[in-house]
Amino acid sequence: MAKLAEDIPHIKKLQAGDKGALYELYTKYSAALYGVIIRMCREENLAQEVLQDTFLKIWKQIHTYDPEKGRFYTWAYRIARNTTLNALRKNNDLIQKEDLSVYKDMEAEEEERDYSQINGMLRNLEPHHQKAIDLVYFKGMTHREAHEEMGVPLGTFKSYVQQALRQLRTAYGKEIFMLLFFIKLWFGNG
Amino acid sequence: MDRQRILDDGLLTSYLLGTLSAEQHNEVSRILGEDKELQEQYQLLEADFERLAMENAIAPPPAALSGLKNQLESESGSPVIPISSANKNFTILRSRLLVAASLAALFALGTFWFYSRWQNTLGDLEELRLQTANLQNQMNSLEGNLTLTTQQFQKLTNPDVIPMVLEGNDLLPNSRAVAYINPVSKEVVVNPIGLPPLGPDQTYQMWADVEGVMINMGLVPTDEAFVELTFIDHAESLNITIEPAGGNDHPTVENLISSVLL
Repeated sequence: MAKLAEDIPHIKKLQAGDKGALYELYTKYSAALYGVIIRMCREENLAQEVLQDTFLKIWKQIHTYDPEKGRFYTWAYRIARNTTLNALRKNNDLIQKEDLSVYKDMEAEEEERDYSQINGMLRNLEPHHQKAIDLVYFKGMTHREAHEEMGVPLGTFKSYVQQALRQLRTAYGKEIFMLLFFIKLWFGNG
Repeated sequence: MDRQRILDDGLLTSYLLGTLSAEQHNEVSRILGEDKELQEQYQLLEADFERLAMENAIAPPPAALSGLKNQLESESGSPVIPISSANKNFTILRSRLLVAASLAALFALGTFWFYSRWQNTLGDLEELRLQTANLQNQMNSLEGNLTLTTQQFQKLTNPDVIPMVLEGNDLLPNSRAVAYINPVSKEVVVNPIGLPPLGPDQTYQMWADVEGVMINMGLVPTDEAFVELTFIDHAESLNITIEPAGGNDHPTVENLISSVLL
């Protein structure tokens, strides 16, 4: 189904136990995954640990990945999201059991860097559409958690997500169209 | 669960994000496997989310990769990859990156060149549009002037028109105005070019004498070639006086500068 042809050789090598293939995939996708993880964690040390754990899981579970069912990145995103949520839960348990002041200091240090900023086409959307995508994609919330966070009914929230995705599709579609147009113009003019 | 419910409830997005229950996840996966059109929608959604993630990517610190390598190393007990192989892979990757970067730069330059040309053309087009609009305005204005002049010319050359010269008296001996009177169409037009200009607080005013009563015909500004005035029936003479700016209800007889009997 939705497989990215250029990833297939790496995935086959990875399934055959080639660590080099894992590092190739790391080079390609680690920044995108880290962008999600750090926005969920908002703490660099924890985010690094989660990123490592994510790729360790990819290494161990690659035999369960079926390219026919979707892109490698989507599969890796799900692993990253779940790993991050588990790490955050563990972290919260620790904070409740241990000395809170240590973590307060850590939070104070981490506040110096703002990971919440969003980039790219998402910035062109209206604020409530940006927020909806941010909550479900970069904060890892379910629709139910996110609609409560935004303070709007579930149905309204779902429509925000659908509208935002439609607008992104249109915007990305236009970019591809412009790209094709310029390529045609370039080669057309010789 | 069916296709419509998947679309209506936004389950495709939840499936992609991995937030569905295991049962729902398997169900959506099964339906996706059977429905080509839904598959296509899902592929676009995946591509968009991946693009979104790439646009919001944040490079992890290099320590993360070395940490991963160490962990893999300690778990498997075998070297990560031979150094020579790593160097070879790195060299291949670097060459590919160089080729990709060159192509990207070439494409960016080409795109920029076309974009500049496009912008210049748009600028030229806008300038031409403005020039056309200006020419259109000028043409409209000229047409208006021509129509006015033609109408005035027709009024003056009409065989029913009687021209009357109003010579200045002792107050303004060198002044002169010409009144064109059409008793049939009941119109009066005055050419005041021969009247000397007045100060800003004064104006010429024309009057018709009807049985000893001076009736106002209107003001006569000296900056117009033809001034249309009110035609008064049974006028016995035409008279011009100098009045305060804005005109007067009654003529200031001591300021009478010209008069002609009809």
